[in-house]
Amino acid sequence: MIWTGTPKSKGPARLLETRRLLSLVLIGALVWSLASVDWGGGIVHTGGGDAIKGFALALFPPELSPEFLKVALAASWQTVVHAVAGITLAIVIGLPLGIAASGSLGTPGRSSTALAVAVRFILAFMRSIHELVWAVLFVTAFGLSSLAVVLAIAIPYAGILGRIYSELLNDVPQGPLVALRSSGASPVRVLFYGRIPMVLTDILGYSFYRFECALRAAAIMSFVGIRGLGFEIQLSLNDLRFDEVWTLLFFLVGLVLLVDYWSSRVRRSLQS
Amino acid sequence: MTSAEKIVDGRGLGKIFGAQTALAPLDLTIATGERVALAGPSGSGKSTLLYILAGLIQPDRGELFLDSQAVSQLKPGRQLSEAVGLIQQQFDLVPQLPVIQNVLAGRLGHWGLLRSLASLFSARERDLAVSALSRLGIADKIDQRTSRLSGGEQQRVAIARLMVQSPKIILADEPVSSLDPAQAEEILKLLTGLADDTGGVMVASLHAPDLILQHFTRVIGLRQGILQFDIPARELTPSVLEALYDLDRDAQI
Repeated sequence: MIWTGTPKSKGPARLLETRRLLSLVLIGALVWSLASVDWGGGIVHTGGGDAIKGFALALFPPELSPEFLKVALAASWQTVVHAVAGITLAIVIGLPLGIAASGSLGTPGRSSTALAVAVRFILAFMRSIHELVWAVLFVTAFGLSSLAVVLAIAIPYAGILGRIYSELLNDVPQGPLVALRSSGASPVRVLFYGRIPMVLTDILGYSFYRFECALRAAAIMSFVGIRGLGFEIQLSLNDLRFDEVWTLLFFLVGLVLLVDYWSSRVRRSLQS
Repeated sequence: MTSAEKIVDGRGLGKIFGAQTALAPLDLTIATGERVALAGPSGSGKSTLLYILAGLIQPDRGELFLDSQAVSQLKPGRQLSEAVGLIQQQFDLVPQLPVIQNVLAGRLGHWGLLRSLASLFSARERDLAVSALSRLGIADKIDQRTSRLSGGEQQRVAIARLMVQSPKIILADEPVSSLDPAQAEEILKLLTGLADDTGGVMVASLHAPDLILQHFTRVIGLRQGILQFDIPARELTPSVLEALYDLDRDAQI
């Protein structure tokens, strides 16, 4: 391959040695942490066993009264709306940033531009702060509104998506790109005719997976007082109504399964 | 040879990667109608020379004129794609795109950006792709996803892309090394036919002496980036080729 220039010369033997050492350290840490656990009854606190039993028994049956199902449905809807708006905004922000971070619009063969490095830094900043921390910030700024949740999901998720997108766009086979360049295609055209078509299913698949994560994130926004599935779960837990908790959990699992099903449908239709 | 006939005019072209000389400075002129074969063991600089001719990598030394214009002065995009086109060993199509988009990619150097992007959704100049694919006998595949085509059909799609681009200089990097003899024969016929149509030249790297004799007028031997010979194809004898590919020769030096 004449595109790679000089190969990076890391002594493979030394690399292997470092890796072995690292493995030893990690195994040591695991053994040490297992040894420090008090296995003699310190794990489950007094009365904890009964609580677990009560929670398990509440599954037969879960709360299925029409009134409560209505509550669960409304809460699910609220959570879905937050997640959809959050992930949509995340994709809208993440895709251009990911393209910029990939450096694929620069001169081929040249190493990263200053722009790409700057964007990579911004993406890292966005995703290194957890969505709940963003939520605390935005609730302080906007109050208990949906806007706060949507932004709290969109910003870290755009950081994650942008990074994954940029990696996907970079890890494509070079041959077709060279062929496009030799047909006179500029970097933007190579992006749309080569890179994006080659990774589109991966981009979609990963975005769907992140949509699942956004559903979970939207659900736990109850921690900052936002309504939704998590909020209802919290209320039911406070009332020790474990049968209601089960119902709500089933709704949450149902949502994730629905997204999973939708994702596989979309990807299959793209591949045919 | 007058300058008008010299479609390719390279003076002292050389390329270094790191500490390694990929191509020692060499002069190369190619006139209209010539079919030039590049021979030599792997790592001999054939690909480097082709990529320099394609304008895909810049030579460290020397100057290259295509059709009397300095390559460095040609605008990437339209002018360069009218001058040279490259076909590679793996044919390097985008497997996820429909056939028509891979064929029309040959027009990307001509099209403006908006036209290029719009064409992804509703193909522009479809008749151009249809006529190229019909000549190659695969017009019925035009709307199929490229990955669904057989290897032989994909080669034709790559040639159709080159037809649509219709450059004066056709470059081919090991176009037949992964093919059986019948396919190789056919691909070379198509490529030379294409070069006849555009009235230009063809430069291809390949190893098979019989194919060189049959389809080429001139053969250039490279070894470790150094020019070994530049002779008419009919003067290519087995002993010349043996010396070129002799593995022990380096050990003796």
